[in-house]
This record gives sequence, C-alpha cells and structure tokens, in this order.
Amino acid sequence: MNFVMRMARREIRSSWKRLLFFFVCIGVGVGSIVALRSTLQNANSALVSQARLLLGADVQIDSTRVLDEATRAAISQVAQSPLVTGRTDTVEMPTMARPNDASEEGALLIELKAVGPEFPLYGDFTLTDGRHFNSQILEEHGAIVGQGLLDRLNLRVGNEVKIGNVVFQIRGVMNTDPGGSTGFRLGPRVFIARSAIEDTGLTGFGSRARYRVLLSTHEGSLDSLVTQLRSSLTNNLINIRTYKQSEENINEQYTRSENYLSLVGLVILVLGGIGIANVTRVFIEQKKKAIAVLKCLGATSSKITAVYIAQVIALGLAGSVFGILLAKLALFGVESYFADSLPANMNHALRTGTVIQGLMLGVLISLLFSALPLLRIRHIRPNMLLRNDETARTRKFDLVRWMTALLVIAGLVVVFSWQAGSLRIGAFFLGGVAIAGALLQLASLGLVWLVKRTRQVHSFAVRHAINSLHRPGNQTRVILMAVGLGAFLVIAVQSLQRNLLLEIDPANRGNLPNMYLIDIQKDQKVGVENLIEEAIGERPELIPTVRARIAAINGREIDLGSGEMRGDRGRLGREYIVTYRHLLEENETIIAGKMWEPTPAADPEVSIAEDMRGLQGLDVGSTMTLDIVGRKLTARVTSVRRVDWRRSRTGFMILFRPNVLDDAPTMYVGGLDGPVDDQSRSRLQRLIVEQYPNVSIIDVAEVLQLVTRLLRSVSLAVTFIGGFVFFSGTLILIGSIAMSKYQRTYEAALLKTLGATRRIVLTTVLAEYGLLGLIAGLIGSAAAVALSYTMARFVFEIPWELAPLVVGGGIAGTVVLVVAVGVLASVPVLRRKPLGVLRAP
Amino acid sequence: MIELFDVSKQVPSGSETLTILHSLNLTIPDGQFVSIVGPSGSGKSTLLGLIAGLDAPTNGDIRIDGESIVSMNEDELARLRGKKIGFVFQSFHLIPSLTALENILVPLEIAGKADAIVRAQQLLEDVDLEARATHYPSQLSGGEQQRVAIARAFANDPSILLADEPTGNLDSYNGRHIIDLMVEIHQRRGATLLLVTHDHNLAERAERSISLSDGRVVRDKVRITSVPAEETDVAEVLQ
Repeated sequence: MNFVMRMARREIRSSWKRLLFFFVCIGVGVGSIVALRSTLQNANSALVSQARLLLGADVQIDSTRVLDEATRAAISQVAQSPLVTGRTDTVEMPTMARPNDASEEGALLIELKAVGPEFPLYGDFTLTDGRHFNSQILEEHGAIVGQGLLDRLNLRVGNEVKIGNVVFQIRGVMNTDPGGSTGFRLGPRVFIARSAIEDTGLTGFGSRARYRVLLSTHEGSLDSLVTQLRSSLTNNLINIRTYKQSEENINEQYTRSENYLSLVGLVILVLGGIGIANVTRVFIEQKKKAIAVLKCLGATSSKITAVYIAQVIALGLAGSVFGILLAKLALFGVESYFADSLPANMNHALRTGTVIQGLMLGVLISLLFSALPLLRIRHIRPNMLLRNDETARTRKFDLVRWMTALLVIAGLVVVFSWQAGSLRIGAFFLGGVAIAGALLQLASLGLVWLVKRTRQVHSFAVRHAINSLHRPGNQTRVILMAVGLGAFLVIAVQSLQRNLLLEIDPANRGNLPNMYLIDIQKDQKVGVENLIEEAIGERPELIPTVRARIAAINGREIDLGSGEMRGDRGRLGREYIVTYRHLLEENETIIAGKMWEPTPAADPEVSIAEDMRGLQGLDVGSTMTLDIVGRKLTARVTSVRRVDWRRSRTGFMILFRPNVLDDAPTMYVGGLDGPVDDQSRSRLQRLIVEQYPNVSIIDVAEVLQLVTRLLRSVSLAVTFIGGFVFFSGTLILIGSIAMSKYQRTYEAALLKTLGATRRIVLTTVLAEYGLLGLIAGLIGSAAAVALSYTMARFVFEIPWELAPLVVGGGIAGTVVLVVAVGVLASVPVLRRKPLGVLRAP
Repeated sequence: MIELFDVSKQVPSGSETLTILHSLNLTIPDGQFVSIVGPSGSGKSTLLGLIAGLDAPTNGDIRIDGESIVSMNEDELARLRGKKIGFVFQSFHLIPSLTALENILVPLEIAGKADAIVRAQQLLEDVDLEARATHYPSQLSGGEQQRVAIARAFANDPSILLADEPTGNLDSYNGRHIIDLMVEIHQRRGATLLLVTHDHNLAERAERSISLSDGRVVRDKVRITSVPAEETDVAEVLQ
C-alpha cells in the first residue's frame, strides 16, 4: 500500500498538468449538479416552510359554485368547534377592471380576490409604502392592487378603478402576494373586501368565481379537522386542501425537476468521463515504458493498476472539490442575479447532501470511465524494454475485460438511476446518451472515412491535415465527440426555440383571433354582437357554452378517492366547457362513430375528443352522465373527434347534439379579430366592459407576450446549460490537443528540417483543425436538426422549418472555435527550434 | 544457480517463424561472472530476457535456484524478479518522472522494505551520486543515469544481476567506470553477474565467456582464477 500511495503521489507530481483539463471537466459536471440540486433544494425548503403562508391557512375549502345552505351550515358547525382557531371566507375570480375616469383609456383583465376581515390567517404582508396589510384598508370600497394594474391602466394610488358596477379607490400597492399560488397569471391581482363582492354584480349566474373558506387550527389537530370536514361535506363539488398537501406537491414537483435537471449535469459529467477514458488510454500508452520498468523491478500488474487507480481517485476527488467551489460561486451568482424570481427567505448555501453526492459522483465517473483503459496495464510486457518491436498480439477473448465492461455499464445504470430517482428513467436516459454517442461516433467515422478518400488534394497542407486525422494516437474521435455533442445541444436548443417562437408569433397564426370574449350572458348576446359590429364592422360569432362536470361514466359514479379513478383525477374532476352544434369545425375529423344528422334527436348524444377516449372505458356506445349546475343529464357517446387544437379558434372536448342543452344555463364565448394596434384594441375592450362589466376579455397579444417572455427565459436557461456542455467540450478539445503535443512538435520539427516554412506548418495546423471543426459542426448540426424536428413535430406538435442562420452559424462557430483553440495550442510547436526537438530523448 | 534445459525461442515474422534461440542447455553456478558475446541478432538479449522471466521460451525449462520459472504467471515472475534478479539495460530505462533517489526507492518499496529510504541513500552513495539525489533522469548524463540504474538493480540485494550491453550508450571512459562498478559490487556481494556485450575486452574480464551465433552457443570459455584461460569445446562442456 505504501508503494502504491507513494508512486501515485510521484506520478501526479509529474503529470498533473497533462490531466488537468479532464478533471476540470469533472469539476464543471460536479459543479453544475451540486449547484442545481442545492438551489432547487433551497428553493424547495423555502417554499415548504412558506406553504402555510402561501395557502394563508391550514385548510382551504374550495368550490366553483356558491356554497349552498347545507354546506354553509356544515362548515359553520365545524368552524364553531374548538378544533378551529380562525376562519375567513374569500371569493376569487378573473374579471375586468377599468379606470373610473371616463377620460382614461383601457380595460384590463385582473385576478380579483375578495377577502374577509380575518385575512390572512397566517403571515403578514406589506404594502410598498411600508404599511402592513389590514382589512380595514379595504373598508368602504377600498382596493389594494398589484403594481401591474397601475402601470397598465396609467393609474396612481388614490385613483379610482371600476370593477363590475362598483367603483373602488386604490389605497395601496402590495409588495408580496399572500395566498397567491405561484405560476402563470393572466393579470395583476386586486384585493377588495369580501363584503363588497356582491355589490359588483359579478357573482351572479355564469360567474367564474371560486368560493373559498380558509380555516386555521391548533398545531397537531390538522388531521382530525380534515377528517371532520370530509365526513360533514359529502358534496363532490367541494375540494378540501391542506397546507401539508401543498408541501407534498411542492416537494414532489421540486424533486422531479431536480432529478431531471441533474441529468443534464450528468451529461456534462459523462462528457468529462469520455475525456477521462481518452486521457487514461493515452496516458497509459505514454507510460508504457515506465510500467514495463516497474514490472521488471518486481511490481505485479495489480499493484501497478492500483497506482493508477489511486491517481484517478485523487484527481477525481480534486476535480469534484473544484466543482464544489464552482457550485459555491454559481450560488453566489444565483443570489445576486436571480434572487427576485426565487422564493423570499431562500437560503443560498450549498447543501451538505449534494456536496457529498457531488464528491461521490466525481470519483465514481472518473473510476468507471478509466476502468477499461487501465486494464491495458496487464498487457504491457516487460520484455519491450529489451526489444523495441511491439508485435501485435493476437486478440483472444479477454474475460476480465468483458466482465469489467459489464460492471462499468451496471455502474453507469446505477449512477444514472440514482440521479434520475428512477431505474427506468435512468436506464432510458443512459440508453439515449449511449445511442447519441454511438451515432455521433458512427457519423464521425463515416465522415473521416469520406475525407480520407479525397487524398488527391493538391495542397500539401490539406493532404497532410487529412493524414493527421488518422495518425496513430490521434484525438480525432474524442474531439469530434466532445465538440460535436456541445454543438449539437446548443444548435438544437436554438433552432427549437426559433420554431416555437415562430409558432406562437401571431403573424404566423393566420386565422386566429387576437381577442377572446368570455362570460357573455344569454341576454347580452345580441347586445354584444351589435356593439362589436358597430365598432369594427364585423359581427362576431358567439358560441353557446355550458359548464359541466362528469358525474358518471357507463353508469358508474365518479369517486375521485377510489383507487382506479385516482390516476384520472385530473380529467375526471375538472369542469368541462361544453357546446352544441350540428356541424364539424374545419379542424375536426371523426375518427370513430358517426356525426349526427342536423335534425333534433330524442335522446341526448355527445361527441368526445380523442383525448377523452379510454377514460374509464369511455368510447363510442358508452354513456356519460354530466352534472350541469346540479342537473344530471345522461348522454350516449356517438362519435370520437380528432381536434387540431392549433388551428382552432375554440376547441371543445365534449360536443352535444343540439336541442338537449337549449334550456341549460348558457354563457357565450367568442374569438374576435379586433384592431391590430394596441390602443384601438384597448379602447374597444373598454367600450365592451363599460356596457357589460361582467364580460371578461382575454387579450391574446398580451398573453402571447407573456408566453414569449417565458419561453425566452426557459430557452436562455437551456442554452446556458448547452453552453456548459459546449464549454466542457472545449476543455476536452484543449486537453486532447495537449495530449498529442509532443508528437506534433516532433512532426513540425521534422517538417521544418525537410524544408517546410512556418507558414506551411501553420497552414497544416489550420487545415487540420478546420477539418475537425467542420466535421464536428456538420455532425452536431445534423443531429440538432434531427432532434429539433422530432421535438417540434412529435412533442410540441408544431410545424417545423429549417433555421439556416442558426445551423450555418452553429457550424461556422464550431469551426472558428476549434481552429482558434488548435492554433493557440500550436504556437509553442511553431516556435521551437527543430534541433532541440529532434535531440530531446 | 541458473539452469537452462533445451531452451528455444521462436517468434512469428510475417508468415514465417523465426528461430532466435536453438535448443540451449546452460548451467551458471552462483556467484559466477559470465559474459555473453556475439554479433547483433545472435540471441544474446533474448537469452538474458528469458533468464529474467521477461519473456517465455517456446520450448524447454529454465530454473532459478532449482525452481522452474516457465510455468510461472506474470505476477509470480514479477515477484521473483523483485526478490532475486536485478537488471541493467543499455538505454538505462529510468522512470523519467522520478528523481534519482526515487528511482532507486521503487524496487525497495515494491518489496515493502522498512528502511527503504536509508538503503536507497546508501546505494546512491555507493555509486557516488549522493549529490544528485533530487535530480531527474533528464538532468543526469548518460553515465550518471546508468549508475543510478545499477544502484536500482542492486537495491534488493539480488543474487543475480543481468546487464544488457550496459555500456552500449556510453563513451569508453564512462563505460569502463560502469563495468568497474558492476564488478566491484558483484565481488562485494557475491552475486551472479551475466553481462551481454559486444566489447571483447570487456568480455575478457569475466570468469566465463559464452559466444552466441545464430541462436547457438558456439564457444563457452571458462577462465578459472589463477589458472590461465582455457578453451573448451561446447560439446565437452555439455557432457
């Protein structure tokens, strides 16, 4: 052991510079995993610790309908029990707000939240002027608003805003948003008093208000409170949620994204691993003589292998420690630049667990990838010291090698599964990486082979460069792999982003409306149609809609708690907006059953969208019972439709044959090609809301802007990670060039001795790296085009088009990078005097 | 004692087989100083390599102190070398990443010697290089490198020292110095010394001189101390 440790130390002393780049790769991989995991875990614990504050209560009872007498009585009974320490009622809904001053322009979709005097049951929130929130501020038609409302409607604190039929005075702007869920929001939030909501006239029929009762309880009594509520409230339309569930949801969400993201870090680490496999191979090749000498001096193969394993572990550990320092730096960066978009009170320290994980990963990946190259030590024979010839030994079946290979694969599966948090995803991902790697290798071999065929090039430099791609101990495959993979990721993300942006760009969406009107009541229909026709000269098509929930399928009642239905909770528990008509839309096709005749039928019939097929056995011939505002209606499924959602102005999962729903409570919705310029559109919106305050208007352009921003920041993040991969690729490139430096120095010296000028030698270098960069760029961009096409067509289901600028720029960028690195690394080669090189041992 | 019984060595050369050593029988008693001479390609280095277990014979048996080494695996051979055999090469073969002292330390450490560092320093002194202890091979002259190699070969007090043209890469002054050193240590420690050389003058200094040609022993001359050198026919010796 003494010998092993001492030899390892001595070897590292002399060769660490050559190995440096590869362990920097390990560092970058470990760093990204540790930083990602630490950040997400910190955000998770910050959110979990705030779960109660986010919900604003221990328990939330939620319903999309006004709570009926029985339910209210049941809740009050529980609320009066000693279990409950606090109660407040809220109503939330999306609606429109507009300045009260008729001379001010604009109307804006907001998220209105009407809160009772006890709100919030937990926590505290402050206004921008430093005051603490107090429900008294909302008394007598006061409102506290999000900054967005002031900005968009050009208002100030003290101004008045009209919501529904009521004028509210803006009394403050909120700093943080209590009781708000994170995520996508259509408009700024506005707080008013619970007592004022009925005056607005917005809670009448057809309103999309959510009625909530928030309760707080003693520490430890949460479960018994929930049990009591569940047993008293048997109504299926009521949803009971606790802050613990929010915690669980947050945990689940974060763990999943943490695991997915760390797989990206793992790809970087694997790239580093490939670098390590390569450096180990070349390193052992260079150390052959020293190993033969050791064997001559009495060292066994296993002892010598142990010397190199010790070096790999030491450098893997050093790389990981470096990675952890990088992660620490990254967390500093996150704290300084992204603190605003992360939960408040979030800690920005490294998590001990992730640090240990990073260290283990760094060492494991180093070991796994160096295992096979290290096996070569066994085959180095000491008699090479006597005879310089190395007769190629006939390759026999090498059991140890195969066993090691199997162990390495098993090890990688374990590492990937561990990181993905699932054996299936881990194995799948590893398989994907392996296939991608193999394809890249195959493509590069093919291209190199093709280039080799073109030996009849006139230029000496190019001919020499082509030969260099094949020289013994060449780094061609590794460079192509590392750089190609980096280029692949960056180009793929860029071109996919371009396609996504093109897709959501309204300019490319042709027939889609730029405004949607919702919540139009039956008696308002004609009025709204007339108003719009007057304003823009075109009569909008308003579609009748009815809100419904699935009550039973094939006679079986929906019980979301039951085991077999739990998996379909999302599709079974949601509210559906249904419509009726006797014709198919342009973007619909029947894929099963038959569309009904335009004549009325005696029995109710429905057509379901393809996405609903199979839901608890739902198909043509099944029956489906829908609950429409308390009235149960059973209909037979007579057809299944395929809907091209992208081409739809509106889309419906459930479609009724006309007549049956004539008496159902109907609301109208409609898309509208309003004025293109923002100001006129805003004026039209104001006009509609002024007359019909309950009608909500979604401005598509605004939503699209929001989505575009979101998409840009997502793709920025992905590009950043892709950039990391590219960076690792560059490091491997530098390292690979450094590995063959001696050989190239010697070659350059020989060429100079034979009469080549420095210019010729430089041209050779340019040609060699230009070729390498070109091949890597071509392979990377081809793979990127394939990936972005597949993702666009089959995952996002959007049309795809080649982005020549991105692809061309990607290839050019790769060539420039590889040539720059190659030439920079070759400067000392060009400078050295030939004699010194040729004389060196 | 080194014993070779019907040892031959063949290697594939293209599609044919090349015989480097023809059925060879040889006994070298403990403590003898033997020189092996012959033209290039006569099989001298191969013979040395076979005795050191660096290569395996195609046929025949080789015994070191009565123990057959032919059936030993690589690791057993390595251990045997570590214990009993020292080797000096024509091109020194010092490990370039280690200092002079560390090069000598290596075999001691492999053998797990407790006083390795003290012994290595002593050996370096024996070859007059204590001042160069921390120098790397590239910072030493050829003669100095070979002296380090000799010190390394003697590190574990081997009973057999094999030297493959140790002066081949040195000038005559340095060459003589190296041979003097080897002979001196051989005499002091009583180790068997097998010296492959082209230099007939050098060969004459050995107690016994074996001439090889085309893989066959053509002359085996034993010079017994105080008795004039006496030529023997190969046939006689073998009998």
